[in-house]
Amino acid sequence: MDLVNLAIAATPAFIASAVEFVEATTIVLAVGITRGWRAPLVGSALAALTLAVIVATLGVALVTVVPEHLLLGLVGTLLLLFGLRWLRKAVLRFAGIVALHDEDEIYRREVADLRAQGLKKTEFDWVGTIVAYKAVLLEGIEVAFIVIAFGAKGVAAMNAAIVGAIAAGVIVTALAAALRQPLTAVPENWMKFGVGAMLSAFGVFWFGEGIGAEWPGDAASIPIILAAFLAASWLAARMLRGLLPEGARVEARNV
Amino acid sequence: MSSVLRGIWDNTYGLLVDDGQLAIGAIASLAITWFVAQSGTDQLRENAGWLLLALVVALVIANLYRAGRNARRRVS
Repeated sequence: MDLVNLAIAATPAFIASAVEFVEATTIVLAVGITRGWRAPLVGSALAALTLAVIVATLGVALVTVVPEHLLLGLVGTLLLLFGLRWLRKAVLRFAGIVALHDEDEIYRREVADLRAQGLKKTEFDWVGTIVAYKAVLLEGIEVAFIVIAFGAKGVAAMNAAIVGAIAAGVIVTALAAALRQPLTAVPENWMKFGVGAMLSAFGVFWFGEGIGAEWPGDAASIPIILAAFLAASWLAARMLRGLLPEGARVEARNV
Repeated sequence: MSSVLRGIWDNTYGLLVDDGQLAIGAIASLAITWFVAQSGTDQLRENAGWLLLALVVALVIANLYRAGRNARRRVS
């Protein structure tokens, strides 16, 4: 696979993983700035190690052991469930029915919680390590899931997905390290909306392939499926604005 | 450690299920499509993907409409 094709294949995993890395970075930053950097770096490294084991065992087992049709059906199902969840939440956020994900607010709350717990200078900071480990592991499981889902088609797809996820991790971490503040400028809801539609489209496509459906032009059908999801979401967002022109804002404040 | 394991389980479950009705609807759509593909003619099987797409798109719109109506009921 040449560099251009690799970049194209890695893009979905890159965008999807970047959203998760932004969320994990917010917590790690909060720990580092309030309690010092040693503990969150140890916690993050341990979580990354745990995730590598998860991806290596599950991903390789899925790609090499499970028969292809069953694998596509299984991955299609998981992708569809995962994608629809993101898509639904993003549309509800656009309509103001669910409050927007606020990295700044999460960061402030985490800093206040960590400061309240105190820190003894003489001891290793287990609290900071565990908080960072948990955040990186939990968000990282989503990244691992994304990598396995996008990479389930074969070795080349798996490599592209891993490259995309690693690139997202490196870029988000570097940005956060340079700025030393949560990445609030990242348009998380737009990204989640796009990724939700994309994952749902891949889910439908792969489940179809798994049960023996024929797609005209094979993978060339994916943009058409994606367009159907985007059109349905646009229609739903308009419908929600019609249902709750002012009320949606009120509802958002109550969440 | 148990809280970490619980967190992992909650997160993994939460990855797939946010709204129970949407998840059940999606699984029902997949089951209907699979059934049609297995028991129908070759032509039906070949076009089963489009059936799945139609079912899921209808599900998304219906689910969001229900969410909007529920929100409106809470507001009013």
